[in-house]
Amino acid sequence: MIRKPSLLARFIYYAILIIACIVAFYPMWFAILASGRPGDRLYALDLPSMFFPTEWTWENYRHMLFDDLLLTWMLNSLKVASITTIAALVVSTSAAFALSRFRFRGRGFFLIFMLGIQAFPGLLSLVAIAQVLTAMGLYANHIGLVLAYTTGVLVFATWNLKGYFDTIPIDLEEAGMIDGATPLQSFILIALPLAKPALAVTALLAFLVGWGDFIFASVLVPAPDELKLAVPALYQLANELAVPWGHFAAGAVIILIPTLIVFLYLQRYLQGGLTLGGVKG
Amino acid sequence: MVGWSGRKKFFTILAFTFPVIIGILIFNVYPMILNSYISFTDKNKFKPNPDCEFVLNDLLVPLCWDVFKENAPVGLGKPFTVAEPWYKNYQTLVGDLFSIDAVMALLTIGVCLVPLFGASVIDKRLERQESRSVPSIVIWLAAIVLGILLAALLNIFAAYDTLMRTGDFFVVVFRTIMFVILRVPLSFAIGLILAIILDNKYIIGRNFFRVVLFIPWAASSVAILMALVWQFFFRQQGTINQLLATFGVQGPVWLQDPIYAFGIVILVDVWFSYPFFMLAIGGALTSIPTEVYEAAEVDGASWWNQLRNITLPLIRPAILPAIVLTSITAFQMFGTVWALTQGGPIQGAGQPGSTEFVMVYAYRQIFQTSNHGLATAFAVIVFVFLFGATLYSLRVTRITEGAYE
Repeated sequence: MIRKPSLLARFIYYAILIIACIVAFYPMWFAILASGRPGDRLYALDLPSMFFPTEWTWENYRHMLFDDLLLTWMLNSLKVASITTIAALVVSTSAAFALSRFRFRGRGFFLIFMLGIQAFPGLLSLVAIAQVLTAMGLYANHIGLVLAYTTGVLVFATWNLKGYFDTIPIDLEEAGMIDGATPLQSFILIALPLAKPALAVTALLAFLVGWGDFIFASVLVPAPDELKLAVPALYQLANELAVPWGHFAAGAVIILIPTLIVFLYLQRYLQGGLTLGGVKG
Repeated sequence: MVGWSGRKKFFTILAFTFPVIIGILIFNVYPMILNSYISFTDKNKFKPNPDCEFVLNDLLVPLCWDVFKENAPVGLGKPFTVAEPWYKNYQTLVGDLFSIDAVMALLTIGVCLVPLFGASVIDKRLERQESRSVPSIVIWLAAIVLGILLAALLNIFAAYDTLMRTGDFFVVVFRTIMFVILRVPLSFAIGLILAIILDNKYIIGRNFFRVVLFIPWAASSVAILMALVWQFFFRQQGTINQLLATFGVQGPVWLQDPIYAFGIVILVDVWFSYPFFMLAIGGALTSIPTEVYEAAEVDGASWWNQLRNITLPLIRPAILPAIVLTSITAFQMFGTVWALTQGGPIQGAGQPGSTEFVMVYAYRQIFQTSNHGLATAFAVIVFVFLFGATLYSLRVTRITEGAYE
């Protein structure tokens, strides 16, 4: 593993990598090809056009963006996911700070208790959550969805940020303490600016929860069309009887590309294991 | 020192953690309690609203509270109340598992697994000896042979059949566990191979490969759309069969065949999850000092020996948490299988389909048959499973180590 691999070994390595890359990328490429194929065909008819764009039209994109509701759906998703992110961060950052900096009775219990709660899968609490939201009059409403997502993200965000606060040396805050800083000042003026990277990563991951979710969105906001979120709306589009495949593919590509970019940007943070405890594959 | 100690400290902590506590109480703890309560009622499509005359309903179900009363849907069938008998849903789900036949069958399967546990105990003990007399592969092979012999002797298939007839619960959980057992090692192996190759600094374009190979995991945040694309590949007229047709082979209807469908769900979920392992293992590999390998080279250790005796043991602490967490998420996998098969193909009316895993089963119970009582009871049982798994994972991952210091 340290000496230069032999020619044969390198050949095998590159072969594995290239095959893996094709497998990793082809589904995405397939969606891109289908999105530009004229005539609403999902599949290519001949071998070359299964791999290369032999014909191309922007009609599907035009339709999805201007004639269909895709932009509304994406705006809905954007709205719900952003509010979720902000709410979750505001609520969990201060708690994470307190859990990291103070020692108090019940702290260990609280931390473990949160993880135990996390073991209750969101899908399974859906009956109860739907009941609560119906009672509050928030069914088929974006606010209800935001509430549901926010609590789904809370535990993960708190743990993640607490872990990061733990790694920030306490010296700075001790210096501040001696100068008479209150906990609130120390939190806002010292710890928060230092935790920016963790805040950014946590925010992005929280955002993706709302952005990519299917179950909650499809159940809690089943109708009307204008209120739907992008992912469930597109999924429903693909399950209609006469499916406009080109439209679906174009919509999927429009949703996937920004998601991919965000994730590829996140990759460098994830590599360090910053969020290993919270992110699962 | 204002607020850092004494009575002020208490209020500071309270102020900092109050929002989280409230959020968790209202939207995590309370739904769990309500969920457990509903699991003892006969709530279903025809009985959507609570019978507020009943004390527990009045106490626990928000639709009975005066503040929310006007939000209750009206004119929808009869009210629901506690089931008759109160454990009816649980009886429907797992009742048959406690019959004498089923317990015997479970015991039979347990007995067949005993050699494997024995092997792991013996192997651990031998590990501590300075020069081990028997290599571990011999012990494990012996255990496996013994296990198979026992299985043949005790007629494990009959036991399996008995258990499969005890109802949906065993079928669904068993299939889900099979799925986890097959999927996790597979993504681990692929992730390991790719991470080791990419760790080699003589490979040109490592960053490019890393980014491209990372795409599936990026796509997994909108898993349901990407899994739909995979479903297109495996349709009867799909891409795979088109490719096969160019070689003159008539492809099968992949997703209508129970075995193929199961395999395809595993394949696609491996596709989604191997980058996570690739990333985690890659991170762990960079932390191994190269001197260790240099020393091994000098001693003439083969590639395989280096992998087995240096790489794997050294990345173990970093990888174990990843494996445990992945297993728990794999157990709860929903989007991939929903987009691919919706739990099908179905072999008989009223039976779970062959890829109907835990979450799919719950989803179908809730939204297709609207059998809320049964679904919530199922949720409670699955929660007990997952809670145990989470506690175990905490021990393994030591994620909570900092919590007590």
